[in-house]
Amino acid sequence: MRTGAAAQHKGYYHEAIRYDSDEDLLAVVLPFLLGGVEAGEPTFVALGERTGGLVRSALPTGCGVRYLPGGAVYARPAGAIRSYRQLLAEQVAAGAHQIRIVGELSPPMFGATWDWWARYESAINHAYDDFPLWSMCAYDTRLTPEAVLTDVARTHPRFATPDGGHIPSATWTPPETYLRENRPIVPDPIQAGPPTLELVDPTASEARAAVYRADRGRLPADDVDDLVVAVSETVTNALRHGRPPVRLRLWTGEDRVVVSVRDGGPGPTDPYAGLLPAANGSTGGLGLWITHQSCSHVALHREPDGFTLRLIAGNPD
Amino acid sequence: MTGDDRLPGHVCWAYDDQRSFAVEAERFLLAGLAAGERVRYVTSGPADRVTDHLAGQPVFAAAVARGAAEVVSLASTYHPGGTVEPATQIATYAAATDAALAAGHTGLRVVADATDLVRTPAQREQFARYEHRIDRWMRTRPFRAMCAYNRLELGGPAVAELACLHPAGNIEDPLFRLFAAAPGAGDVELTGELDTANRQLFRTALDRADLRPVDGELVVRATALRFLDHHAMTTLNEYAHRRGATAVLRTSRPGTARLVSLLDLRTLRVEVTR
Repeated sequence: MRTGAAAQHKGYYHEAIRYDSDEDLLAVVLPFLLGGVEAGEPTFVALGERTGGLVRSALPTGCGVRYLPGGAVYARPAGAIRSYRQLLAEQVAAGAHQIRIVGELSPPMFGATWDWWARYESAINHAYDDFPLWSMCAYDTRLTPEAVLTDVARTHPRFATPDGGHIPSATWTPPETYLRENRPIVPDPIQAGPPTLELVDPTASEARAAVYRADRGRLPADDVDDLVVAVSETVTNALRHGRPPVRLRLWTGEDRVVVSVRDGGPGPTDPYAGLLPAANGSTGGLGLWITHQSCSHVALHREPDGFTLRLIAGNPD
Repeated sequence: MTGDDRLPGHVCWAYDDQRSFAVEAERFLLAGLAAGERVRYVTSGPADRVTDHLAGQPVFAAAVARGAAEVVSLASTYHPGGTVEPATQIATYAAATDAALAAGHTGLRVVADATDLVRTPAQREQFARYEHRIDRWMRTRPFRAMCAYNRLELGGPAVAELACLHPAGNIEDPLFRLFAAAPGAGDVELTGELDTANRQLFRTALDRADLRPVDGELVVRATALRFLDHHAMTTLNEYAHRRGATAVLRTSRPGTARLVSLLDLRTLRVEVTR
């Protein structure tokens, strides 16, 4: 019932496109999209303004390809997963046998926040596997740093090529492995200075009050409220599921607030923690997922004697 | 603080020593006399000792003489050791309030040391239900009350069960308060903070408040609620669902609406009122 390269595949058929010219991008994307439309499969484009315009102008008018607004969907990884899972569930409920999507992450995501988008690219291999989805994630190698391309190769099982090929990625790493790898948190520059405040074993209420005190009106009120939600959930998780001491540090910058919460426990065992609401009642799963929905960046790091979650509100770059 | 007439008329006073409570009780009652109310002091032990003490104070002595103040023992007003029947007790206070008005007073104000009425869990359960019922009733009548509880004898958690059902009081222990909203402002009001630390207490308070939906909705005024976490949202959602209603949470924080939409809570709706 499925068509094209994914015809015999069950679940999510996840590919990356590495291109260095518009011609190469179109050579992969146009047959992919038109093939979907021809087979009666819901077919979507979620590209940025330039590449989206390029594809749109290359397709026949009114060909049936649908365009998704990229910006809001890709605000945060956990939100993107939630939105796409809703979209996919709707399509399957409406009778779709396969859904095709071509999307891209925008170059600003390749900077300080790349690590959580890399986690996104890995996690969706699992998160979208409930659906007959064939998607391609486009990366312009002229704009994408080498380190990002390395992660792209590890998080995508295969590459779609301009000659119609679907080549397995030599460094493909299953998400359960990739997401359990322990990457150091790249310190935000303002973390080089002394923290604005430091609390040891605070109650969630004390932590919330400290965030409100420390903001001093620099961030929009809604951003501060969201950070308070995230800090409250993080401290609650550390107190309930981690081990003492729970140490909260907060730095205030011109355009952002950085909070790190460290406890002496091992951290969450679920590799998808934070990106998906909760797996089989895993402890603290919903709180960590809410935290990922409430900050402009979340990073996590395990050490032999503790677990750290770092949250950023405001500008994360 | 309790002498301030702008405060809600239903105050919880948790005390560790009789002397500090007596000072607050007298201040509360003096404010009532100053406002033209009839006042009643319900003592936990025999009334005589408090009567004698107040007799030494000219304002009280004069008020007692003209029928504006009285001191009665708990045993003569409630049934210590038993449980309080909410409707009966409210009817008693309604009649006493009417009598005060008929006698030319502006209302009735009561201080009651209710410690002896809430010593067992069963007593507390029933009395907490009564606390919310009378809280609702006194929103519409010229009746004010200070409910005092001995924290040393009852313990902090037991007092918190009762304190959280008062719109005002001297302890922040429960972190939140649930009380009848002002007429026209919804069914119930929440203030303070709701998180995992008071999650069970919040559930218990909701059950005891026994809120009745109106036209399929339970309107919760939460503009002065500083924080509620996803557990509290889920609790409200489930509570409304069990009662065949939708909880309408009125908040000033847009983030709350966003969080509720993330959680797919079908019987909780957020109205942002800035």
